[in-house]
Amino acid sequence: MERVAFSSWNGKVIDDRKGGTTKTSKVVSYPKPANGEKMAALMGWNGLVLEDPKADVVSLTYNYIKEARKISCGECSVCMIGFDKILDLFDNMATGKGDKSDLTEIAAIAKYVAANSKCSFGRSSLYPVQDALKYFKDDFLELAKGERKIEALKYDVTVTAPCMEACPAKLDIPGYIELIRNNRFDNSLDLIRERCILPGTTGRVCTHPCEDACVRNDVDESLSIRLLKRAAADVDLESGGSALPAPRFEKDEKVAIIGAGPAGLAAAYNLRLKGYGVTIFEALPYAGGMAVVGIPEYRLPATVLSHEIDLIKRMGVEIRLNQKVDNLDVEKLKKDGFDAVYIAVGAHKGNPMGVEGEDQSCEGFVDGVEFLRDFNLGKPIDAKKKVVIVGGGNVAFDCARSCLRLGFKEVEIVYRRSRAEMPANDDEIDAALEEGIKINFLTNPSKIIVKDSKLDCCECIKMKLGKPDESGRRRPEPVKGSEFIMQTDMLICAIGQKPELPVVKADKALDVERWGTVKIDPATQMTNVDGVFAGGDCVLGPATLIEALDMGNKAARGIDNYLQGASTNGDLSFDGVDLAATRGGGYLVKESARKVDFLNPKKRIKNFEEVEGGFAPSAAMTEAGRCLRCYRVVVWQKEQ
Amino acid sequence: MVNIVIDGRKVKAKEESTILEVAQDLNIYIPTLCYHEELSSFGACRLCTVEVKTNGKWQLASSCTTPVEDGMEVQVNSDTAKETRKAAAALLLYKYPDTEAVREIARELGVEAVPAEAGTAHDCILCGMCVRTCQEIVGVSALSFRDRGPNRDIEEPEIEFDPNVCIGCGSCAFVCPTGFIQLEHEDDKRTIWNKVFKMVPCKVCGRYFAPEDQLRYISRTTGVAYSNLTTCTNCR
Repeated sequence: MERVAFSSWNGKVIDDRKGGTTKTSKVVSYPKPANGEKMAALMGWNGLVLEDPKADVVSLTYNYIKEARKISCGECSVCMIGFDKILDLFDNMATGKGDKSDLTEIAAIAKYVAANSKCSFGRSSLYPVQDALKYFKDDFLELAKGERKIEALKYDVTVTAPCMEACPAKLDIPGYIELIRNNRFDNSLDLIRERCILPGTTGRVCTHPCEDACVRNDVDESLSIRLLKRAAADVDLESGGSALPAPRFEKDEKVAIIGAGPAGLAAAYNLRLKGYGVTIFEALPYAGGMAVVGIPEYRLPATVLSHEIDLIKRMGVEIRLNQKVDNLDVEKLKKDGFDAVYIAVGAHKGNPMGVEGEDQSCEGFVDGVEFLRDFNLGKPIDAKKKVVIVGGGNVAFDCARSCLRLGFKEVEIVYRRSRAEMPANDDEIDAALEEGIKINFLTNPSKIIVKDSKLDCCECIKMKLGKPDESGRRRPEPVKGSEFIMQTDMLICAIGQKPELPVVKADKALDVERWGTVKIDPATQMTNVDGVFAGGDCVLGPATLIEALDMGNKAARGIDNYLQGASTNGDLSFDGVDLAATRGGGYLVKESARKVDFLNPKKRIKNFEEVEGGFAPSAAMTEAGRCLRCYRVVVWQKEQ
Repeated sequence: MVNIVIDGRKVKAKEESTILEVAQDLNIYIPTLCYHEELSSFGACRLCTVEVKTNGKWQLASSCTTPVEDGMEVQVNSDTAKETRKAAAALLLYKYPDTEAVREIARELGVEAVPAEAGTAHDCILCGMCVRTCQEIVGVSALSFRDRGPNRDIEEPEIEFDPNVCIGCGSCAFVCPTGFIQLEHEDDKRTIWNKVFKMVPCKVCGRYFAPEDQLRYISRTTGVAYSNLTTCTNCR
């Protein structure tokens, strides 16, 4: 529908019920069905929107309150009792026992719940009800007089929060934080595992986009969401480790997964939980993918990851190690009893720099991921005096900080842009600087000089930043004549990776993007080859662990739908919608985040011990108490 | 010390003290149902809400959870604050109409049509004092809040009891404002949360004075020999 009949989104009222010309684009952005379907009406924390002027606002309001009431936790009295009383008053009117004073009372309760609730949910969620009562008064008066019924509407519900929406895997973050606050670490971990099957791992290495979206940033500082997740996992591990849920029933179908990295493991867990037989084929001698061969021990102790993988294996997922799949014969797999295939081979092949003299086989010049893989798999590394790492991502920093621990005396990073453009996490950059790693910004190798098939030195050139490129970052340009020689015993190139895909043998060739990643249909996660799905870094290019887990979760749903012939329900898209914005007020107490201990930089560079400490349970509970509980509920009706 | 203005009085207040604490020191009454000076503040009952002004803006805040800030202005008894507290009391009364502690506060805050006679029900009003006492004072965490939210399929929030860690000390019953938590004695037995505890007689006077589990817990955590703990406070 082109036209908006009514909108009170963000408190900005547009009323065109009588047939005006307001286009949807003129209204402040409000949530819309993600699949582009048409919508009749929605009620959400920040307003009421009608695309269809005939939508039943009274019934929508009632159902919205009913759904929102489920999010009211009951910890503060006004919110939950307020919702209950409003619902009772509605029921009264619907059964002919009410009168118009009930409407006044509902409006008053809505006002006091907004004014006096403890959390952001209570403070914000009843504004649309006030809007409905004000602008659709006649409809509600009909209800009060017994001339109108509350209809059993067919509607969808979306519950989100600024942090949840920022999380690629959409974890129920306020939910698991609340459970930690209430000393329910076990329930919290169960809730985390529904969407994140490697909680101890992500609790250590996640890039935590949730924390950037945390509403607390506007008050003091973000909650330590990542560390809270880690606390839930650590408490469990310290008490011996709980088992994952068993499938409720077994299904006949089997799924083959290529690659035991985060995407493959997430898909395996979710498929096994649905009762499928799952076999993972892993090329390396260990399961875990990039999490095991790409992340050094000082950031992620191997025991944490291996425990989490063990739990998945104990559910009945078979992992066949040292089984590299170079040729993927779909027909043969089907004959072997596999009904679907999931390609999750990651992106383990380093990109070349494209500079003169670059010769992968020369001694002293290595690829970043290969370097990390080799020493994580136990290959001895001969630590020389100096090493230079090229690149500004997390792989470059993992290489640099590992080299320091391996005994290199001088470790330098060379990066062609400035710190502002550096893709590595700020925490990583700070930790590296603390450990004495030198970063040469606006510098790029221009020539690799090889002598007797050994690396001799590296010629670099100074760079300056020009106009922004496609990625929005300013494009680095070489400064003419600024070449200089950088002496080094070893040069590690860590400027990105791409996948090494198996050759798929099927009725048609596998569609691949121009940068070598697999092309999939985002709605189904399936490739162009029937029954073959793909996800993780081999689809995204080198991305984050949580994105890989999300793709694994989605693939499991996609494969389940494919094998069972069902389709998923539509979600809402919050593109352009400010989830932090509410009309709720109330004083917020400033309170800084709890801090954890880090190993002393001078001592920690001598070994691979875990650098960052975790929260003790009591500290986790206090930190969890800072959560503002910014749950946002939206109830929406598709166009009939 | 910070300077604040509370109900028109300019006062110096200790940093990090809450508005409620400062008000109590000044004998300015603020109603509460979930506050206890020995416990951390929880902000559950919403009966202690006041108006505060910081950076030129008046906002509502629960006084038990809000620390004073330099330059802060507080109005305990503005119309808005009083109406908001009254509305909170009215809602509590709606849910727990027969519980005397709730009736009492509703009467006090001017909620209309509260029965004059004492209520006879002993509902749990989810104030969480028992949970905090068990965790912060006793240190065993036998009680925890079980609330709702997505993915938690329980109808009503409740206080959950873990019989495996309870030591039967009865602190929760002592602190409970509504009498929901019942503590019963019969001979050498104490029953609380439906768990029966064996009581220990005082070595001197023979009175059953404490559950064995509690004394063993104290012995374990303090290192005092169990045999030294079996004398009641009166005879010590």
